[in-house]
Amino acid sequence: MKSKISWIPILISLVALVPGVVAGAPATSAAKATSDAQALKQLAQAIASESEADQIALTKALAATESQAIKKGLITWNEGGVYLYDSGTAKIPYVLEDAVDADGKQKADRVDTGEALKDDKGQPLLFVSSDLTAVDTSSGLRRAIQTTLDMLALADPDPQARRSAVMKLGMSQKQIYIPLLQDRQTKEKDKTVLAGLDEALALIGLGDSDPAAQDKAIRRLGEIHSIGSRQLLSTIANNPNSPNAKSASASVKLIDEHISWINFYGTLFRGLSEGSILLVAALGLAITFGLMGVINMAHGEFIAVGAYSAFVVQNIFGQGLALSPFGMNVSIPGMKLTGSAFDCYFIVALPLAFISAALVGLLLERSVIQFLYRRPLESLLATWGVSLMLQQAFRLIFGAANVQMISPSWLSGNVTIDDVGLGYNRLFVIGFAVVIVIATWLVLTKTPLGLLIRAVMQKRDMAACIGVRTERVNMMTFALGSGLAGLAGAFLSQIGNVGAGLGQTYIVDCFMTVVVGGVGNLVGTVCSALGIGVVDESLQPWIGPVMGKITVLAIIILFLQWRPAGLFVTKSRSLEG
Amino acid sequence: MAKPKFRREILVAALATFIGIVVLPCLNAFPAENSFFHISNYSINLYGKFLTFAVLAISVDLLWGYTGLLSLGQSLFFALGGYALGMHLMLLIGKLGQYHSDLPDFMVFLGYPKLPAHWVPFKHFWFAACAVVLVPGLLALVFGFLAFRSRIKGVYFSILTQALTYGACLMFYRNDFTFGGNNGLTDYKFLLGHDLRTASTQRGLYICSVLLVLAVYAFSRWLTTTKFGKVQRAIRDSENRVLFSGYAAANFKLFVFVVCAMIAGLGGALYVPQVGIINPSEMDTSKSLEAVVWVAVGGRGTLVGPIIGAVVVNAFKSFANRTFPDYWLMIEGALFILAVLFMPGGIVGLPAQLRGLKRKKREHENPVLIAPNAQETVDLPDTLPDQADRV
Repeated sequence: MKSKISWIPILISLVALVPGVVAGAPATSAAKATSDAQALKQLAQAIASESEADQIALTKALAATESQAIKKGLITWNEGGVYLYDSGTAKIPYVLEDAVDADGKQKADRVDTGEALKDDKGQPLLFVSSDLTAVDTSSGLRRAIQTTLDMLALADPDPQARRSAVMKLGMSQKQIYIPLLQDRQTKEKDKTVLAGLDEALALIGLGDSDPAAQDKAIRRLGEIHSIGSRQLLSTIANNPNSPNAKSASASVKLIDEHISWINFYGTLFRGLSEGSILLVAALGLAITFGLMGVINMAHGEFIAVGAYSAFVVQNIFGQGLALSPFGMNVSIPGMKLTGSAFDCYFIVALPLAFISAALVGLLLERSVIQFLYRRPLESLLATWGVSLMLQQAFRLIFGAANVQMISPSWLSGNVTIDDVGLGYNRLFVIGFAVVIVIATWLVLTKTPLGLLIRAVMQKRDMAACIGVRTERVNMMTFALGSGLAGLAGAFLSQIGNVGAGLGQTYIVDCFMTVVVGGVGNLVGTVCSALGIGVVDESLQPWIGPVMGKITVLAIIILFLQWRPAGLFVTKSRSLEG
Repeated sequence: MAKPKFRREILVAALATFIGIVVLPCLNAFPAENSFFHISNYSINLYGKFLTFAVLAISVDLLWGYTGLLSLGQSLFFALGGYALGMHLMLLIGKLGQYHSDLPDFMVFLGYPKLPAHWVPFKHFWFAACAVVLVPGLLALVFGFLAFRSRIKGVYFSILTQALTYGACLMFYRNDFTFGGNNGLTDYKFLLGHDLRTASTQRGLYICSVLLVLAVYAFSRWLTTTKFGKVQRAIRDSENRVLFSGYAAANFKLFVFVVCAMIAGLGGALYVPQVGIINPSEMDTSKSLEAVVWVAVGGRGTLVGPIIGAVVVNAFKSFANRTFPDYWLMIEGALFILAVLFMPGGIVGLPAQLRGLKRKKREHENPVLIAPNAQETVDLPDTLPDQADRV
């Protein structure tokens, strides 16, 4: 189910690509521009009014326009940054631009149109700010401006902004906002904002002098698990004079329960996503180490190959790339794409990362590993040599510093479900893990290649006897494992730093995951990765990330006392099984 | 047949010791600075460092070459020995540190009110000297007991020791672990009343390193010739057969593991005053693997091999780091692959390997039905561990 959620942002971005939707946008924005212009005109009128009563009345009327364009003018006015220019026929309010020229003068913009203020001859007027006196605002007027601003915020087209405006009013606990919020409640359609309004009204109700009304508000806050009100509620609960202390403490208890659930689910989610990261990184190793018995210490560097492939693809989609490996100059031209077209680089990078890492793996298998199948300890040492060479090669090609990755917009940001924040990239990694585990399982069990792989890994000599070309199967298996590592790298590039040392940060964890899961068993790897992820994340809030990691290592060592062959043991009659 | 071989070995060892203990220090102390024969203080210091690495390499070889246990935790034991002596050296600085406090500088910097309890006994040299061998030994005992009891072997043992080292390394990087965190222990001034910054003390330390290598070599030589050594090699070649013959292989392995940890600790303890610093990067897992490279290049399954390997590879490393710093890792990696693929006997095994090649060529040219010395070609550590074990 979680994998479905993670595809939503992709779908959205795909929909955004449909030209019809894009073409529809200008029409609505044109309609809005006229009402904005009118609202600005009204604002200018309000500022230029002679009497204070007129100003207040006109300002209050501004709220009805629901125009977001006048916010800036109102704020500037409130802060005393609006001036009046007497053109002879009318008074024109204006604001000064930020830029100051050599003479200390600033250009002026009209409040009503936003255009530069010009004199009769059409020349832009320049002012020295210290020479001017701002339009005066009385305290009553300032209050009116603030109320209008609050009401405008409530009418903000963005539900997120609307909700935070509602909550701001609720937290202020001022009774005067009640009619405002209630009015909004009748108009509002968005669910989250409605919930916010409910909470805000209850929050204001806490300050009610009538005990019955206060009690109602307290109960309501408890029912809706309002975390923001916990502090206020506990103040009431700790006040022995308050008639509602009992119900307040009941509400606090409800909220605390809710918070511990949120923490539980948050930890579970983070643990699952960290486990998925581990799983994605270790899956390739589960094949090369688990199935083939090759200790590939360069596995981490294959992950880095995938990450660097993603980096190269990103730059080809973007500004291009100039590299200077080994004293040569290589420059790759970029396509200079932006927006959602640029974001697609990641989709292209995934298969390319797989292919490039698989090719490097193929090369390694042919040149080194094929001689070491019967000598696992030596394969450990030789592949460590390879890992050193690859690391240095990365440094020479891409520089010693980490390279800059730009995540696609649909991977940044997050969604909040019942107060639990879920990052899109974390959701995506879970979905991604599910997809590649299933894909790997399908390859191994449902394809002719998978059949050959399993045959060779289980009984090499027998497979060779019935005509399987074991050399070629070895090659393909190792390439598959390496490719999976590359795929992991492309994804991990979106989560952590991409540098020459990227592989080193994962290698120990990957081996641990495979060993704990039970060598030669994909299900074991899945379980151990998720288990390690969840345990690590649940320990972290208590003892910090480093100690958490150390504790996990210690737990693993002790765990292997209990089950030396890992979670899932492949049964065998062989002495060395 | 064994007798003259043994006598030759003693002769070579005596000659090497003589050069190491008498000739080189004299060349450092007496000839004028600009003379052709003069060996600079820097070089003597460097040689001393290489020799402590040689001790580490012997400990790796006793485990890997003789028992078939590839431990990737030897750098941890080396560093632990180093830390144990480093703590003593830190306390000897006294008020000469940056902050002129009785506490070591990093403790003042991190705001420790007083010396942590486990630091106090390190004021005595004898305690620190015991800790140099006992701390690594104890850790090896506990870890080895757990690992061998559950019959973790082969690559699993390697991976687990690597995890142990990784965990310890993370731990030592923490500032609140009371061992100086990232920066480690440094800025030593005295050892047993001698000023560490003078050439004569450094020369003395160098001579100690030669003696330590000699002692460790002699001990290992003796150990491997006893019946114990035979069991050790039997475990390497076929652990199951040893088990079926009624030996408790786990106890043998545990003993070797603990002894090797102690040897590595001793090496580390001599390394620290010569280099002047110990920090967590010394126990990085890659350092353990580096030590394995020295053994592989020098020739595993022999005792001279690790010494030659450690000195040669490190001498080459310090040369390469100055001449082409960008490519050293490339060279090290390539060296390692080549050594593993083409030189199973390392430098020491090279003559025999070449002889074998020559003989093969000769046989190819004028084939004989039964090769006369077919048995001898297996003299190489070619039959080493895993082939025999893994069908």
